[in-house]
Amino acid sequence: MSDDSHLLPYARRADFKVARANELTGKDRRFYRFLEIVPGVAAWATLVGIVWASIYASFFAAYFIIAFAIYWVLKTIFLSYHVRYNYKRLKHHLELDWGRLIERFKCEDYYHLVIFPYYKEPLEMLDEAMKGLAEANYDLKKLIVVLTAEERAGKESVDQAYQIEQKYAGQFGHFLVTEHPDDIVGEIAGKGSNVHHALHDVRVKVIDQQKIPYKNILTSIFDIDTVIYPDYFNCLIWHFMTAEQPFKSAFQPVPLFTNNLWEASAVSRVMAMSSTFWQMIMQERPDKAATFSSHSVSFQALYEIGYGQANVVSEDSRIFWNLMVANDGNFDVVSLSYPIAMDATAAPTLWGTIKNIYQQHRRWTYGVENWVYLVYHFTKNKKIPLRKRWAVALMQGEGYWSLVTNPIMLFILGWAPIFLGTREFHETVLSYELPIMVRNLLIVAMFGLVVSSIIALSLTPPRPQGYSRFRYIVMALQWIMVPITMIVFSAIPGLDAQTRLMFGRYMGFWVTPKRVQ
Amino acid sequence: MPQEPQISGMPQRHRQIFFWTLVLVFVLLLPTMIFYTTGYRLIFDSDTETTMVTSTGGMYVTTSNLDIDVYLDEEQIEQPRLFRNAYYIQNIKAGQHRIVVQAPEVHTWVKELPVDPHIVIEAAAFNMPTTPRLRPITEYETSEGAAVYQGTGTTSTIFANATVTEAFVFATTSSVASFSINPEYEFVETLFGTSTASTTSVFAQFIRDMDRFRFISPEERTATTSTTTPEVIERNGVELLNRGLELYAVWRGSENGIPFYFCVTNANASTTAFRYGQHVANAVYATSSATSSPLFLVDDRTCRSEIKLDRLRQDVYLFDFFPGSSDLVLLHLEDGLYVTEIDDRAWQNTQPLYLGEDFRAIIENDIIYIEENGNFFEIIPEIES
Repeated sequence: MSDDSHLLPYARRADFKVARANELTGKDRRFYRFLEIVPGVAAWATLVGIVWASIYASFFAAYFIIAFAIYWVLKTIFLSYHVRYNYKRLKHHLELDWGRLIERFKCEDYYHLVIFPYYKEPLEMLDEAMKGLAEANYDLKKLIVVLTAEERAGKESVDQAYQIEQKYAGQFGHFLVTEHPDDIVGEIAGKGSNVHHALHDVRVKVIDQQKIPYKNILTSIFDIDTVIYPDYFNCLIWHFMTAEQPFKSAFQPVPLFTNNLWEASAVSRVMAMSSTFWQMIMQERPDKAATFSSHSVSFQALYEIGYGQANVVSEDSRIFWNLMVANDGNFDVVSLSYPIAMDATAAPTLWGTIKNIYQQHRRWTYGVENWVYLVYHFTKNKKIPLRKRWAVALMQGEGYWSLVTNPIMLFILGWAPIFLGTREFHETVLSYELPIMVRNLLIVAMFGLVVSSIIALSLTPPRPQGYSRFRYIVMALQWIMVPITMIVFSAIPGLDAQTRLMFGRYMGFWVTPKRVQ
Repeated sequence: MPQEPQISGMPQRHRQIFFWTLVLVFVLLLPTMIFYTTGYRLIFDSDTETTMVTSTGGMYVTTSNLDIDVYLDEEQIEQPRLFRNAYYIQNIKAGQHRIVVQAPEVHTWVKELPVDPHIVIEAAAFNMPTTPRLRPITEYETSEGAAVYQGTGTTSTIFANATVTEAFVFATTSSVASFSINPEYEFVETLFGTSTASTTSVFAQFIRDMDRFRFISPEERTATTSTTTPEVIERNGVELLNRGLELYAVWRGSENGIPFYFCVTNANASTTAFRYGQHVANAVYATSSATSSPLFLVDDRTCRSEIKLDRLRQDVYLFDFFPGSSDLVLLHLEDGLYVTEIDDRAWQNTQPLYLGEDFRAIIENDIIYIEENGNFFEIIPEIES
């Protein structure tokens, strides 16, 4: 029998780490399955509803579309304002000397556990990640670095970790290479299960051996393409030290997908920067955020929930919901507004890039499984304030619903009453004015893209040799693709993911190839 | 050196104020936008110096030419930027309005239409060239494809009152060795050789039919009538047919698909006469008692299924749909070839395409051919834009 005394009371529940309805029984199973169906039904009902209303209630559909277009313009203003605000903060944080700022704190006892899970990524990528760590403005002896390979990736892939260990181990306080077995029952192959295994390994082999208190360890779980900025650990510990409840907080940097931005195609750059902007928006709305991709959290908090789940696709956000639910709602996201550099999705061909971006976004939007999880646990954990449960459930639900439906409604179905409406509708001024009005509102909304374009250019790394200045113009103009990318890489993969969940065709983890080899 | 970062995260209150401001903007903007898109406008009345809310309607006019000018009540309408052959005219006060579509070198199209609040009335304008445009079809052509006329001649003798769209030459010798045979000529010659179209008038056919009935009994007449069915031409649900001396356009498609000009707004006879013309009111109220082609309602509009075509009180030699259209009809009348619209609201615009009394015309594969003085031509109905 395993010892679970270190777990928080709620984390000891048998269903705490539920991933799918079929892992439950009886009423719980039926309820969880119902929740899995809800997002897909809501999305499809909205889209079909607009088509239906366009045919049978054209006037109502037209008024709805006008309301929706106005809402979209105002939402664009709202979000652009957040991006601009966070951009100012990000720039300011990059200019600060965080080393000086943390001098007033007693940080010597704190360690940074940095976990890099990887699969078949090239040695060059592993090396860049380590180089970034080695160049950090921080006492490297306070770093515990774990490079965690996948057994299923083969010996060659695992050997890369040892090559890196040979090169860098001496520079850090501790360096551990772990190998995640591929036959652990109850796991799904992917980053989550790999990290889960590594956390356990490093605790047993390093932390416990060195008798380092768990509360003195800040764990950063990084994708292997993550290259930190020099002051990352200083910035992180400053926020940890000044957080209202440091052990009940996750610390979220801003992922800039800029490592390979100059090599990436325009479509890839737009999607990468769009993801960055979304994270910048969430930095200013931490009360509405969850962790995403690379982030940091106290080891103590992770230990109290048994390191999170090894059986989900969207593990980066799920770990936050695990923490929140287990801590009875008392767990926050703290925005660092400090960047980390990552790779934009790339492939040797444009078609390959498009395919990779689609699959990457389908995996991200499969995060809707987290909504199912949190609503399920909101009904179980009554210690979480009711208002918070409702607010989070509705806000997260609206997020997944709008991600899938809004672009399609705006750019495609907005015109449906004109094509599908009744003859009576076609004879009205409303029928003729509707496309003009929607077009004008979308043009106004497009001004948000100008803001995006300017900010994106200023976040772009310096132009490497061999790249023409003309590419700056392409980078400025690439934003006109947004209406298409929103549909092709947000709405459709989102709908794909929600439909799969609705039919119980559960997805597995798909590793995004990011570097052209 | 400051002890804290100087820019903190966006304060919750700041965010809330911004959010609720935008909510307020939404609440104010939504009804305004809905009122605007349904046709309400704020209009300043200079006489009373007051601003008032007025309900407006619109007009949607399609044109057959791109470089034309459109006027509404003598005021020129700005050219659309994208769909240049479709004009959507907004902010029209309710009432009768005159729309004029004109350009140099084409006939002017004019219509007077009623505009109702919140409703857009449709019209399809057409403008035929004032000078006919002919493409010569000769037996021989040069290696460059130019038509060859044999013998000496001048342009004015062959293309009197017309412009020619393609190059041609006069061959001064009778030798044709250096020319090639034009297969189109043979085709057109065969067409005119075998077809009777454009030679027998509707009037002649009517008289012949009357003669046939003159010496037969009523029983025989009934039996014979069924065999003398009028000529019928159909396109996109619209049939063209002659009944007696008159020509009609009859809608045979579904009630919902009926073209806009078959229908009028539900109103009494005098209102209908005022809005669309006495002839339309007469037609509607004559049809209302007919059993063969009764009126029907589409949404809240009254629709008749047939419209009489204006033949300018002349005999008709040929009628057919104008190439590429089911709204326009080509009529070969006694003094020339005309194009008329089926839309009879206010009046039917009829424009000459080729004038003359001594030519034959035929339509084949949506191409209008004429034969005059032994020469063949294709009529090009569009002007180059």
